[in-house]
Amino acid sequence: MTLLTTILGLLAAATEGPVGGGFWMPRQASTAADVVDSIFFFILWISVFFFVLIVALMVLFVIKYRRREGHESAKTATHNTALELTWTIIPLILVIIIFYVGLRGYVGMIQEPRNAYEVWVTGQRWSWTFEHDNGAVQTNVLTVPAGRPVKLKMTSTDVIHSFYIPDFRKKQDVVPGRYTYLWFEAPEPGQYQLFCAEYCGTQHSQMAGIIEVTAADEFDDVIAQKANWIDEYADEDLPRAGLRLYPRCQSCHTLDGSPLQGPSFRETHRLWGQKRIFADGSETVVDENYVRNSILNPGAQIVMNYPNVMPTFQGQLKEREIRALIEFIRKLDEVVDEQGGPRE
Amino acid sequence: MPDAAPSTPAEAQRSEPHGVGHIVPMPLLIGTGLALLVLTWVTIAVAGIDLGEANIWVALAIAVLKGTLVALIFMHLRWDRPFNGIIFVAALVFVTLFIALALTDTAEYQSDLHPGDAPAVESKLQELER
Amino acid sequence: MSTLTPEHPDLRTNYLTHSRGVLSWMFTLDHKRIGVMYLVSVLASFLLGGILALLVRTELIAPGETIMGQDAYNRTFTMHGAVMIFLVIIPSIPAALGNFILPIMLGAKDVAFPRLNLTSYWLWVIGAIFAVMSMVVGGVDTGWTFYAPYSTEAARVGVVYVTVGAFILGFSSIFTGLNFIVTIHRLRPPGMTWFRMPLFLWSLYATSIIQILATPVLGITLLLLIVERVFRVGIFDPALGGDPVLYQHFFWFYSHPAVYIMILPAMGIISELVSIHSHKHIFGYRFIAYSSIAIALFGFLVWGHHMFTSGQSALMNAIFSAITFSVSIPSAIKVFNWLATMYRGSISLNTPMLYALAFIFIFTIGGLTGMFLGTLATDIHLHDTYFVVAHFHYVMMGSALIAMIGGLHHWWPKITGKMYSESLGRLAWALVFVGFNVTFFTQFMLGSQGMPRRYHDYSDTIGNWLPEKTQLFHTYHFISSIGSYVMALGFFLILFYLLHSIFRGRRAPANPWGGRSLEWQCTSPPPHNNFDAPPAVGDCYDFSVLEWDEQEGGYKWREDAPHPGGQDS
Repeated sequence: MTLLTTILGLLAAATEGPVGGGFWMPRQASTAADVVDSIFFFILWISVFFFVLIVALMVLFVIKYRRREGHESAKTATHNTALELTWTIIPLILVIIIFYVGLRGYVGMIQEPRNAYEVWVTGQRWSWTFEHDNGAVQTNVLTVPAGRPVKLKMTSTDVIHSFYIPDFRKKQDVVPGRYTYLWFEAPEPGQYQLFCAEYCGTQHSQMAGIIEVTAADEFDDVIAQKANWIDEYADEDLPRAGLRLYPRCQSCHTLDGSPLQGPSFRETHRLWGQKRIFADGSETVVDENYVRNSILNPGAQIVMNYPNVMPTFQGQLKEREIRALIEFIRKLDEVVDEQGGPRE
Repeated sequence: MPDAAPSTPAEAQRSEPHGVGHIVPMPLLIGTGLALLVLTWVTIAVAGIDLGEANIWVALAIAVLKGTLVALIFMHLRWDRPFNGIIFVAALVFVTLFIALALTDTAEYQSDLHPGDAPAVESKLQELER
Repeated sequence: MSTLTPEHPDLRTNYLTHSRGVLSWMFTLDHKRIGVMYLVSVLASFLLGGILALLVRTELIAPGETIMGQDAYNRTFTMHGAVMIFLVIIPSIPAALGNFILPIMLGAKDVAFPRLNLTSYWLWVIGAIFAVMSMVVGGVDTGWTFYAPYSTEAARVGVVYVTVGAFILGFSSIFTGLNFIVTIHRLRPPGMTWFRMPLFLWSLYATSIIQILATPVLGITLLLLIVERVFRVGIFDPALGGDPVLYQHFFWFYSHPAVYIMILPAMGIISELVSIHSHKHIFGYRFIAYSSIAIALFGFLVWGHHMFTSGQSALMNAIFSAITFSVSIPSAIKVFNWLATMYRGSISLNTPMLYALAFIFIFTIGGLTGMFLGTLATDIHLHDTYFVVAHFHYVMMGSALIAMIGGLHHWWPKITGKMYSESLGRLAWALVFVGFNVTFFTQFMLGSQGMPRRYHDYSDTIGNWLPEKTQLFHTYHFISSIGSYVMALGFFLILFYLLHSIFRGRRAPANPWGGRSLEWQCTSPPPHNNFDAPPAVGDCYDFSVLEWDEQEGGYKWREDAPHPGGQDS
């Protein structure tokens, strides 16, 4: 097998482009990219060989045996078992090799890395949410350390999406109702394109993101700062901070009044200071306490005609973040317009 | 492929150039139809009795019996050449293959499913509890 | 018994003139007329699908919104796929050409079940109406694959129309397959053993097996989709406790064999074209015949290769990847056998042969690029990118459709009794061949560089697109779109000169190309009942019995060549 690896390496070296990407492939930005590219070029050269062989023969025959005066077709053998077996067995051996090489590369790509930095990923229409263990939440931009395996644990809240980073050569569908996993290790700091690669509706092509690979020694500070982003917001700006948190609520609560799994925040906003009726007949005034309870203990008071499906955010939101959400709903009209788009 | 010389009256009838081939006797057709209805009734009746694990096997066994009756008599396989029977079995093989591979795959990722029931299922269950 | 000698073509009494009036066509039981109706319908659908394609390519020629918004684009590419696959490629060769040619090639009067044949056609029409109606009720934007749970969401009513349409079209396909199998088993003439059949018939037989075995699964899948939508059962929608990946298993169990429904008859045509136009006996008849059956059967075992990144388990991925490679071998054998047929032949470079050569060129690329996708490590990177789009256009359009066009030109004299303009044929061929390769070869690079498919736009309208990606993709998309216009020009030219030939074309002889299969032994166009009595059959690839007749402008039986008798053939 070392012979095979050597051949693969030579072929890859002969054909891969500069570090910034070549003719066929974008730059190699992960430890897996090298393997994938080697296999790609291995198959490419075999393909080029056979393509040239077949087309050359075809053109040669068309020229040499074209129909013209005095040239009738020859009565050659109509079959030749030895020949046919040969061009059956040689391709068969080649494809078995290709399969094996591909399988080995694949196994390496999916094997659980040790000491990986883990991130929870949620795909929804049409953005990506990333949750770090330290509480930092990012939308569409994922900051990860360089030179260390990163493991993504992914799920979708609505339809099937797919997490695709071309420069890393990694892709995995993100399926609702299930967790799927993807890992990568990026040695070089930089910005790498993330695409959604499974059709998911209107803005499928706009569900792009950035993987921000940060130097390992800077990463801890950067991510700690992101976890505490809310501290940067002054009290009177908390509604805006709430808007930044809103993507985590948006799959069930709209801002324009239309109901989904949960009541629209606009409805709650309109009822502020007034009574709201619940499914068990009880009622309470819509105020700070009510919103706080809804976030931390949602099953206690279900609004009439809505299902009891909201998960609790206990332990997932800092106190200041909860305050931001309360202020966001209370001052909704100042932050977003009738359709739910941000003002200013 | 020319047919071999007919060896049974049924075959003789079938190989007649302008004949309509073997005709299944009407009593047999009606009898089979009734048998199928009876078996359907049995399936429903047994479903009401709690046999635990055995319930699904009983239901499957009756279904296999019914399917066999349909294949042999309604689909005429009992009087057809063995080749037709082979084709039928081949179709079953492909179905088995499909279901086996799909279920094998499903089994592999059971541990990755979201814990608990899906949200809509949850709400349905809770509605029923009330 | 009698063999028909090629008579002077008689345009006064043939299947076209046999009876008159629209009703005589609508309720015809003549397989030739049914084939012609299919042909017109399929080509009309191709025009519709082609216009949708041009709209897609025009939108993609530049970043940002060019001629339509996101929703309109998503509906356009969905309908392009659905129309092309269900209304054009799957029925084109079996139903349009096969219906016409198969019985005549067998020396039979018609197919085994003529009424079923007519039913197949009208089912196609009804299915097509449903599918096209979806465009009126708000359109479908799920992609032709209708993945759940996106397709089971209440909002998309159009989904029901297209799936009902596809369900009905499925029956059309099944009945045609059934008809062909029975016809080939039962209506072969004396002397035509299985291994005396023309290879086109072998390919139709293998195709029919797939049609019967696979299409019901699609029907059930689409039915389940509708049940899921209407009754909210929870089969595929995880919000109801279902499994979305299960839908993919169901869907691809049909849709992979479906691509072999598309390519097998095409390969059958190429076998005919290459041998006849090289005036040489096909090489490796048995291997080619067996490979058709092998592809048909193995094609059922590989559907998971569409799902390598879907969440399918690693075990299944490995199994499906391995079997996928096994399917590539029979196709390779055919290509080598065709080349060996051309070796030391006497090759006429007329339009059908040009299409056959184009097929070999394009199918080689299409087949080889399949290897990148069947290999696990590379497919992770290439799945759902333009590499896949390029691959399947190479095999579906550049191969299956090209073969169909080649077959159309090959049998056009037989079907219409007219010859088309050879020089226009070659010109159009060049436009199509060059245009096709420019359009789709660039998409291989587009895909390997990371451009995902089904994207309306490749710039940062909303943000997060890196400008270097946009720039690179723009270059390739621009070239690809220009290629599509060139190709479209070629197709419009074909439409023009073929129509023109019907009115002004030179009268066609019975055997313009020197073929030996039975369809060349009746007049062009054939009489209503094909043959008065089953003709005797020899080796249909032995062309030494034919010679060119200058007076007739076609080939006829040599004076000194014996006609095949009853026993010694």
